[in-house]
Amino acid sequence: MAEQTLDCLGEACPVPLVKTQKALEKMAVGDVLIVDIDHSCAMKNVPDWARSAGHNVEIEEVGEGEWNIIIEKTK
Amino acid sequence: MGENKKYPFHETFLKKEWSYSTGAVLLAILALALVTVTGSAWGVTGAFVMWGGKFLQLVGINADTWKGFNGALAKYNFWKDQPAITDTGIVVGALISVLLAAQFKIKKIKSSKNVWAAILGGLCMGIGARLALGCNIGSFFSALPAFSLHGWLFWISIFSGAAVGSQLLKKYFM
Amino acid sequence: MSDSTASTIRRTSSKPKETPEQRARKRKKQLTAGTILVVLVILLGLFIQTQNPKGAFIWIIGIALGYTLQRSRFCFTAAMRDPVLTGGTDLTKAVIMAIALSSLGYMALQMKLTGLSLENLGSETLLDASKLPGNIRAAGVQTIIGGFIFGIGAVIAGGCASGTLMRMGEGFMQQWIAIIFFVAGSVIGAVLLPIFQASPILYQKAPIYLPQLLGGWVPAIIVQFGLLFAIYVLADWYGKKKSGEL
Repeated sequence: MAEQTLDCLGEACPVPLVKTQKALEKMAVGDVLIVDIDHSCAMKNVPDWARSAGHNVEIEEVGEGEWNIIIEKTK
Repeated sequence: MGENKKYPFHETFLKKEWSYSTGAVLLAILALALVTVTGSAWGVTGAFVMWGGKFLQLVGINADTWKGFNGALAKYNFWKDQPAITDTGIVVGALISVLLAAQFKIKKIKSSKNVWAAILGGLCMGIGARLALGCNIGSFFSALPAFSLHGWLFWISIFSGAAVGSQLLKKYFM
Repeated sequence: MSDSTASTIRRTSSKPKETPEQRARKRKKQLTAGTILVVLVILLGLFIQTQNPKGAFIWIIGIALGYTLQRSRFCFTAAMRDPVLTGGTDLTKAVIMAIALSSLGYMALQMKLTGLSLENLGSETLLDASKLPGNIRAAGVQTIIGGFIFGIGAVIAGGCASGTLMRMGEGFMQQWIAIIFFVAGSVIGAVLLPIFQASPILYQKAPIYLPQLLGGWVPAIIVQFGLLFAIYVLADWYGKKKSGEL
């Protein structure tokens, strides 16, 4: 159950999502990816994509305008 | 995460993001209200040309004599310019939205790639919008629904441009 | 946002960056600043009204547009870019919805002005299209070239015209830089435009209005809404295909 953090602070649309997709590709089922973002678009499009891909997703607001998106790869 | 549950009113009415569909409906209504009341459809970049021209005049270059301006700068009044007012309003409205949601954060430049992206992207948008006689609002959102063919042409064109831009983004700016 | 207060995904405990007290203080600061800004907006609206008989209305619409764009995370650029870059079409569909609704509105506005009613469809004399509400403008090579360049720029910059303004308000320094060059590019474009307009190959000056082009309101409505519907279905299918494969 490996855990990886992806720092996407300060990245413009759509970089967080593209990086997340790439990172998840390389991970094993059951691994957890924590994406650190501060982009309002990303706090919506990253979870939306991850859910539609079938993974477990949680969003946590860790600061003003800063979120952690926690994705557990399920397949 | 748990602390948001302490303020359900704030969470529901001021913080929780709206769906894309909600946004779509509201944008359509607001834009239609604007054109119905003022006769002028929503536009963004029309004001930019004037502001740029005014800046040139400030630094001693009288752009008003150029063909592209043709004396329009002399007559320009910010408060009578609808795009100028709505452009400013959009910036302030977005700021109000994040402040009231307690989600405001200054996103500083991370690397020089971001600067180059802003420079090249901004220039392309400025030039492209003038040639097409409008941007994604003036030549798309306020054009296609008005049954103007140039709205459809613009849509196909920005879609193609966006595809190329995506490749450039991946290769040079990510 | 997750409904459960406890995380269901097993992970090593993350150290929070701020204490709850720090967060509560920052929250209060932002809410206060936001409220003050609302008051200023109202005052500025009153001022604009003295300069422009419709000023206050236009100002409030602008504020509402910015608020709506931010609150719904709406992005025209993403609608254009995501199908190609990430396989997502949610925003594409939302934009089509907005366009379709707007089309209904413009249909009503334009028909009202041209003295048309649904009974007269197909037997009308349409007025000079450029005088109708909406941006009915010249359609030609300049549109294609300009749109193409604009599309490249919007994706690279991370936001289109409305997107740049919205992100300025959100605090993105990149967009504060982008706007400067957007304005500069606009001036360059304003200089290039007359050159284009002098060339009959690069610039076609006739505004093309669909009801006129297609010979009436009925074909125009069928084509406009038909195409929008078809593209919506395509986007929906494509998005589902892309996410289903992954």
